[in-house]
Amino acid sequence: MGLDRLMPYAAGIALAAAGCHAGGGPPARLLDGRPAAHFHPVGAGVIASGRVLDLDGRADGCLAAADEADVASDAPAIERIGVDSQSLTFANRDGSVVYACDGGIDPAGERSAPWCRTVLGELDAGRLLDPRLDVICRDRRGRPLAYAFVDPVAGARWVGVRQNGYVELYEVLAGLPVRVATTRGVDLERDRATLEVTQYDAEGRELVRGELEAAVAG
Amino acid sequence: MRAFLAMAVAGFALSGVTGAQAYHRFWANCTADSPTFMTTMTRDAAQDYANAARYEGYQWGGGCWNYDDVDSYPNDPPQETGTHGEGGDCSGLTFKTWRESTDTWRDGRYYWRALRNVHGPYDAAAFRDGNGAPNHVVAKATAGVMDAFASGTHIGMIFVRSLYGGDQIVEAKCESCGTNIFYRTYRSDSAYGGVGRWGWTG
Repeated sequence: MGLDRLMPYAAGIALAAAGCHAGGGPPARLLDGRPAAHFHPVGAGVIASGRVLDLDGRADGCLAAADEADVASDAPAIERIGVDSQSLTFANRDGSVVYACDGGIDPAGERSAPWCRTVLGELDAGRLLDPRLDVICRDRRGRPLAYAFVDPVAGARWVGVRQNGYVELYEVLAGLPVRVATTRGVDLERDRATLEVTQYDAEGRELVRGELEAAVAG
Repeated sequence: MRAFLAMAVAGFALSGVTGAQAYHRFWANCTADSPTFMTTMTRDAAQDYANAARYEGYQWGGGCWNYDDVDSYPNDPPQETGTHGEGGDCSGLTFKTWRESTDTWRDGRYYWRALRNVHGPYDAAAFRDGNGAPNHVVAKATAGVMDAFASGTHIGMIFVRSLYGGDQIVEAKCESCGTNIFYRTYRSDSAYGGVGRWGWTG
């Protein structure tokens, strides 16, 4: 593993140690230490970093050998870095399966940072039938971290997830489902999570709002 | 005409009741009991546990069934956890049969009653990758009774190893096929890997 892969966590640990964000309001920084950008049309809106890259080895240590042959090495991948989470999303060669590498700490100690889980979901006409909830990872403070996919509605540019004291905004990119994360509403006893999700257009106008009740399945 | 309208209203009302029952009734029978910590876990007992779940149905994200050999709510829409029907899904059945904990770092043995509604934190891909302290990857050629074969989207446990290339697999397969023992060739299917549970005592 390259040192660059460790950087987000090293920075995150440093910030946590400095008591940077205790959940009392919008955080000032993202997981990798960069200043958090704010989206003013949404009150207390913090933008999770999102960019489209070539996969190019970024899923090493995440993608199972059985899946590697089915994914092009230069497949477009969406890298997202939020306040407490980090993920990589990409599709297989024929676009029938979407993968997510979910970042965090593996409580079983079997996988090393940045990735603690690989998730895959089958696409039906470009949409997932199930949000592919993952509740295995922990954040840098040891809290359960739930990851889930959200299918954006027509016209949506941002997917907002209610966190403790702020709304984390994920940009819709590359026509793929949006991998979001939260430490709020995670029920480990029932392997479920409830996420408050709102989708916005480019100007921040609310399109849909609702609770996403997701369960580990399949 | 008035009688027709009255019957139509009654018909709609009754059809609505049926729908609500189909989507919400079975999980009302399920429990949230704590599991029983066990010191033993034999492959024979695991066979018995999974065998008893046969005919009890399939529920996406589910893990609750009784022992009446009937799927109370078959043929729900696929990949809908909200239908709340009877049965486990593939990974839920494996989790309960393998007596696992909802904490992935615990590798002890936890007995879950059939009506305890629990799925566990692992989906098929997590099992395939050997995620969690109790689970590990095994060579397919040496996979034995109550080890499993898992792909990114499905997992089934080896009930009996067959002499003819395939295996008798106990699995929760789908809404229309339920939970049963089927002859499968997962062992030779490149999409599947071998998975095992640490800690068998016999």
